Amino acid sequence: MAIIERPTPVLDIPALPAAPPAITPSRTFGALKRPVASTGWKSWLFTVDHKKIGLMYGATALFFFIVGGLEAVLIRLQLAAPEGKVLNADLYNQMFTMHATTMVFLFVMPMAAGFANYFIPLQIGARDVAFPRINAFGFWCFLGGGIVINLAWFLGGAADGGWFMYAPNSGPVFSPSNGIDFWALGLQIAGIASLTGAINLIVTVLNMRAPGMSLMKMPVFTWLVTVVQFLLLFAIPVITVALFLLTFQRSFGAQFFDVAAGADPLLWQHLFWIFGHPEVYVLILPSFGIVSEVLPVFSRKPLFGYPFVVFSGAAIGFVGWGVWAHHMFASGLGPVSVAVFSVATMAIAVPTGVKIINWTLTMWGGKLVFSTAMKFAVGLILLFTIGGLSGVTHSVAPSDTQQTDTYYIVAHFHYVLFGGSVFGLFAGFYYWWPKMFGKLLNERLGSLNFWFMVIGMNLTFGPMHILGLQGQPRRMYQWTEARAGEGFFNIAFWNLVASIGSLVLTLGILFFLINIVVTARSKVRAPLDPWNARSLEWMTSNPPKEHNFDSIPKVEHLDEFFHRKYEEDPVTHTMRGVATAEQVLAELERNADPHIHMPSPSYWPLVLAVGLPVIALGVIYSTMVAIVGGFIVLYAIYGWALEPATAVASDFDTPSTNGHAVSTTHG
Amino acid sequence: MKVRRLTSRYLGPRSLAASGSLLLLASCATNAPQDTWQPKGPNAKMIDDLQQPVFAVAGIIGIIVAACVGFAIWRYKDRGQPIPEQTHGKPALEVSLTVIPALILAVVGVFTFRAIFDLARTDDTQLVINVTGQQWWWEYDYPVQNEWGITQPIISSGQLVLPIGTKVLLRETSRDVIHSYWIPALNGKRDAVPGRVHTLRLQADAPGIYAGQCTEFCGLSHANMRMEAVALSDADFAKWVANQQAAYQAPAEGTLAKEGESVFLNQCVRCHQVSGLKRADGSLAIAAPDENVWSGAAPNLTKLMTRNTFAGAMFNLLRDACRDDVWRAESAAFGEKYLGGVDESCLNVNDLRAWLRNAPEVKPMYANPALLTDTNGKYRGMPNLGLSESDIDKLVAYLLTLK
Amino acid sequence: MAETTTHDAHVSSTGLSNVKLGMWLFLGSECLLFGGLISTYMLYRGRVSDGPTPEQIYDIPFTSVSSFVLLMSSLTMVLAVSAAQKKDDRGVNLWLTTTALLGATFVGGQVYEFTAFYNEGLGFSTSLFGSSFYTLTGFHGVHVTVGIIMLLALVAINKRSSVPGSKSETVEMIGLYWHFVDIVWIIIFTLVYLIPV
Repeated sequence: MAIIERPTPVLDIPALPAAPPAITPSRTFGALKRPVASTGWKSWLFTVDHKKIGLMYGATALFFFIVGGLEAVLIRLQLAAPEGKVLNADLYNQMFTMHATTMVFLFVMPMAAGFANYFIPLQIGARDVAFPRINAFGFWCFLGGGIVINLAWFLGGAADGGWFMYAPNSGPVFSPSNGIDFWALGLQIAGIASLTGAINLIVTVLNMRAPGMSLMKMPVFTWLVTVVQFLLLFAIPVITVALFLLTFQRSFGAQFFDVAAGADPLLWQHLFWIFGHPEVYVLILPSFGIVSEVLPVFSRKPLFGYPFVVFSGAAIGFVGWGVWAHHMFASGLGPVSVAVFSVATMAIAVPTGVKIINWTLTMWGGKLVFSTAMKFAVGLILLFTIGGLSGVTHSVAPSDTQQTDTYYIVAHFHYVLFGGSVFGLFAGFYYWWPKMFGKLLNERLGSLNFWFMVIGMNLTFGPMHILGLQGQPRRMYQWTEARAGEGFFNIAFWNLVASIGSLVLTLGILFFLINIVVTARSKVRAPLDPWNARSLEWMTSNPPKEHNFDSIPKVEHLDEFFHRKYEEDPVTHTMRGVATAEQVLAELERNADPHIHMPSPSYWPLVLAVGLPVIALGVIYSTMVAIVGGFIVLYAIYGWALEPATAVASDFDTPSTNGHAVSTTHG
Repeated sequence: MKVRRLTSRYLGPRSLAASGSLLLLASCATNAPQDTWQPKGPNAKMIDDLQQPVFAVAGIIGIIVAACVGFAIWRYKDRGQPIPEQTHGKPALEVSLTVIPALILAVVGVFTFRAIFDLARTDDTQLVINVTGQQWWWEYDYPVQNEWGITQPIISSGQLVLPIGTKVLLRETSRDVIHSYWIPALNGKRDAVPGRVHTLRLQADAPGIYAGQCTEFCGLSHANMRMEAVALSDADFAKWVANQQAAYQAPAEGTLAKEGESVFLNQCVRCHQVSGLKRADGSLAIAAPDENVWSGAAPNLTKLMTRNTFAGAMFNLLRDACRDDVWRAESAAFGEKYLGGVDESCLNVNDLRAWLRNAPEVKPMYANPALLTDTNGKYRGMPNLGLSESDIDKLVAYLLTLK
Repeated sequence: MAETTTHDAHVSSTGLSNVKLGMWLFLGSECLLFGGLISTYMLYRGRVSDGPTPEQIYDIPFTSVSSFVLLMSSLTMVLAVSAAQKKDDRGVNLWLTTTALLGATFVGGQVYEFTAFYNEGLGFSTSLFGSSFYTLTGFHGVHVTVGIIMLLALVAINKRSSVPGSKSETVEMIGLYWHFVDIVWIIIFTLVYLIPV
C-alpha cells in the first residue's frame, strides 16, 4: 500500500480521459466528499501530509510544554519556603501529577513524534509515511487525549495520584474526584496515537527508504526513533491493559486493586513499569538521535562510531525491557529479584555510556561551530552525563533504598529528561527550524535562551541532589522547618535556590518563545543549507515541497548530502567542496519525476478521533453519551474503509500543466 | 569520619584526592535529621560503605567527561581550520571504552549483590516490631516477647522505640494504600503494602531520636506522615516497656482531668483506645474505630504522654524548647530525658488544642461528613468533633494523665 | 482499518507490502495486550473472596465445542485466502461468510456462557476471579467481533466491487488477524479452562 509512488513509468497511472479541470470532489465516501482545501484551517484539519501533521504535533506539544512548565513553577513557588501556602494539599497533588503527565505524555513524546513525523520521511528520501490517514488519526488522538486529561481541571479536579498512579491509592475511595478517570481515559486515547504512530513509522522506515539507503546508511535520528517505535509498539499495550483495569475498577466496580478482595497492589506497579521503563527510553532516544545529527554537522565530521551508536541504541531498546523493577527496589520484591534487576540496570549504563563517548569523540579533531543548536547538543552531553551517573548511583539497589522517592531521584530524572530530552529537542528546534519554516531562529536570542536554560536548569535541579540526600521526600506539598537541618546543606536554603532557579529557567523558555515570534516576523529567508548539513532532509527546499523531493535521490553514503558536496583530497585527507547545496538540488530537479501522486486529505481521521473523547466522557458521565461516541466511531470507520487513501484521478484531479507539477489540491 | 569512609570495607582504601571533596561536603552537614550520608547503625552503614565509593567513582568519571568535552570545545573550536578527514571511528578504541565501564560496573555489581542479601536477612532478628501504615500515621505494635519483658502486646504510634545495639526487624504492612517506612540514619526504605508483609532491619548504635518520613505518596497528607525512631539503652528500654504495660491510672475524682475522662468516654473512645479505661458502670471501654474510620484503626492513646508527637508525628507534644532539650541531649543523658515524657510545663498546648478543636483544619484529611459517600460514611482521618472550649480544657487535662 | 489502494504492487525495501508489515506489527503489539490480560488472570484466578470458583462454573464440554467451532473458522479462513489467490470471487464470499458465521457462533456461545455464569452468581465485581475472567475473555470476544465485522464488510465491499485494490491481499490480511485471534483463544482456553487452579 505504498502511498508514495516511486519514480515510475507513466503507464502506472492508467491513461485517463482528460480529467475534469475543476477541483470539486465528485464522489462520496461514507457520507462526505473528499476535502479539497489546500490553504487555510481546513487544509490543516483534514491534512494527511506528514509535514503538516508533524508541525501540528509540535505546536500542540509546545502548548502543553508551557502548561506543564507553569505547573512546575507553581510547584516550586509552593516549596520555596517552609509550610508553603500557594497551593493546598489537594491542589498540590493534582499539580505534580499533571506536571509529570503533561511533560511526559503531552510534551516530550508528541514533540519527538512531531520531529519524527516531519523528518523521518525526509531523512529516508520518502514522500510521505506509509499510512498517511492513520498518521493524521494519531495526531488527533493525541490532541483528544490531551484535552480529556486536562478537562478534569474544570470538572471537579485533575488526577491526584501521581503520574505513576499506584494502586490502591488510585481507587475510587482514595481519589473520589473524576480526575483519575479523565487521566486514564485520556492516556488511553493518547496511547492510540503512540501505537498507530509506531506501526506507521516502523513500516515507513522499513519499506520506504530511498534506493541505496541500507539500514546502516540511515541517519542516526531515524535509527533511534525507529528503536523508540519498537519500544512503543510493545510497551503501549501493557499500559493499555493497566489503564483498562483501572478504568474498569473505577467505573464498573471491578476488583483488580481492591486489597480487601485479595488483590495484589504490586500488579499495577509491574504493569506500569513494564511500560514505564521503556517509556523512559522513548523519551530520551529521540533526543539522542537529534544530537547525533547536530554534533556531526557542527563538528564537520561524521558521527564517531556510527555502528556503535546504532547498536547501543538497539541494545538499550532490548535491555530496557529487563530493568523495570528498578523502580520497585523498595517495594518488597525479595532480594533475588532486586539483585537481578540491579545488575541489569548497571548493564544498561554501558550502552548509554557508549553514546556519551561517541559524541565526545565526534567533536574531537573536528571544526566546531557553536551555533545555538550545537550549544544545546553539547549541553546535553554534559547534563545527561550528570543524570546518567546519578542513575548509576541508584542502580546500586541498597543505596537506591536511601534515594528512591526523594528529591535525589527528582534531580536525577530532570538531568536526564530536561538536560537530556528537552535539550535535545531544543537542539532540534534550532537545527531544523529553517527546514520547517524557511527562516533561521535568531542566534542571539538563541544564545540567551541557551544560557538562561543551562543556568536555570542547574540552579533548579542541581540543589535537588542535595535535598534528596538530605532526606527530603518527593511529592510533599509542604516541608517543615523542624526537619530542615542546619549548616551548608540545610534544605531551606536549597529549596529556595531551586525555586529561584525555576524562574531563571522560565526566563530561558520565554526567550525561546520571543525568538519564535521575532523569527516569524522577520522577512529574512534562510539559505538553502544554512548549517552545511549532511543528511537527505536538507536536499530539498526550505520548507520542503509537499512531495518532499522532486526526484528521489539514490543513496550511496551515510551522510549522502555531505558527500555530494565534498570530496576527500587524496593527499591531505581534508575535504574540499565540489558542489554547492543549490547545485545538488538543481541536479535533483533536473531529474524530477514526471508523476507524483500524493495521498489525499480526508475527513475521516478527524471524525474518528473525535468519537473517542466522546466515548470517554460517556464512560465517566453517561452511557448514552458513550453510545453517541460509538456511532461517531463506526460512521468514521465506514467512511474511511470506503475511501481509497489516494484519490484516483476520477475522484478529482487538476490536470498537470507540466510534467513536474503535483496537484496541490491534495494538500 | 573521613578515615572510616575511606577505608571502606568493600572497595578498600580510596585516594584522598579523588573522594576528598565529596566527603568534605558530606561532613559539612550538621544536625541534618534525615541526611542519608550519616549512618547511625550497621544497616545504614552497610549502604553507606557501598555508595560512597560509587559516588566517588561516578564523580571522577563525570569530571573526566566534562574535562574531555571542555578540552574539545577549546581545542577544536572553528578557527578556520580545514574540514577534517571524514573518519568513521576506531573500533579498538570503542571496544576498550565500552569494556572499561562494563568492568567497573561488574565490580560494583558484585558488592551490590552481597549487600542486597545481607540487608534482606531475617534469621538473626532479636526483636520484632510490627509496623502498620494508615493514612496518615504509623502504628507500632510490639508482639509478646518475654525476653524483652513484653508480656502483653504494646500498641503505640508516633514514635518507634527500640533498644540500641539490637537487631530489630520491622514487619510492615498497611491498612489502606501503600506507604513507605524510612529512617535514613538506620536503613533504606521499605514499602508497607496492604495485603503483604515486608521486613526491614533496623539497628541503632547510640541512644537518640532518628527522624524519618513516609516516602511512598499516600494521598492528601503524605507530607505530614512522619516518623521518629527513638533508640534507648537496654536498661531504659526495659523501663519504657514496663511503663507501657503498667496499669491504667484513672484521674482523681473531682479533678478537671476526671471530667476530661468522661468527655473522652463520650467522644474519643469511639475510635481511640486507652487500655484499662473503664466506663462509669465499671465496664471496660473498647474502641471501635472500624465502625467510624475507613481504614479501620485510630491511634491507641494509652500512655500518649510518653510519646513526643501526635497526629502522625506531624505535631510535637513538646514545646520547642523542651523538644530541643530531648533531641540534643548527650547519648548518656538522653534516655532519662526521653522517659520523662510530657508534663504540663512542656506540653505544646497550642497545637494540641487546635487539633482537638478542628483536626481537618490543621492536617488535610478526608473528614468532611458531607463527602463520605464512597466510604459508606466512614472518615479518613480525624473529623471535627465540635468540642467546646471547656471540653477541650478538660480533655487536655485528661490526656496529660496518660503517661 | 482496511486501507486498500492500487499501490500494493510497488517495490518495498523489505518485499513485504506496507499493510502486511503493518498488520504483523499490530499483531506483535496485540501479543503484549493479551499477555498483560492473561497474566492478570493467572495472578487472580484463584482469588475468590465471594461467589463461585472456576471449578464450580466452568462447563468444559460446552466451551470445547465452541472452541472447536472457532478453530474450524480458521480452516474456512484459509479456504477464503486460497480462493482469493485463485481470483475465485464466489469462493471468497462463500468462505468469508462461513468464517463469519462460525465466528458468530463462537461469540454467541460466549454470550450464553457469560449469561449462565452470571446467573450462577459470578458477576463482574463479585471476585477478582470474576473481574479478570470477564475482562480477559471479553477482550477476546471483542476481537472476534471486530473480526466478524471486518469479514462481513469485506463481503459487502466485494459484492459492490467498488473498492479498488488487491482483494487477495485484503483477504490475506484479515486472515492474519483472524488466525491470530484463534491462536490467542487456544492459549486462553488452555490456561483458563483446562489447567486447574
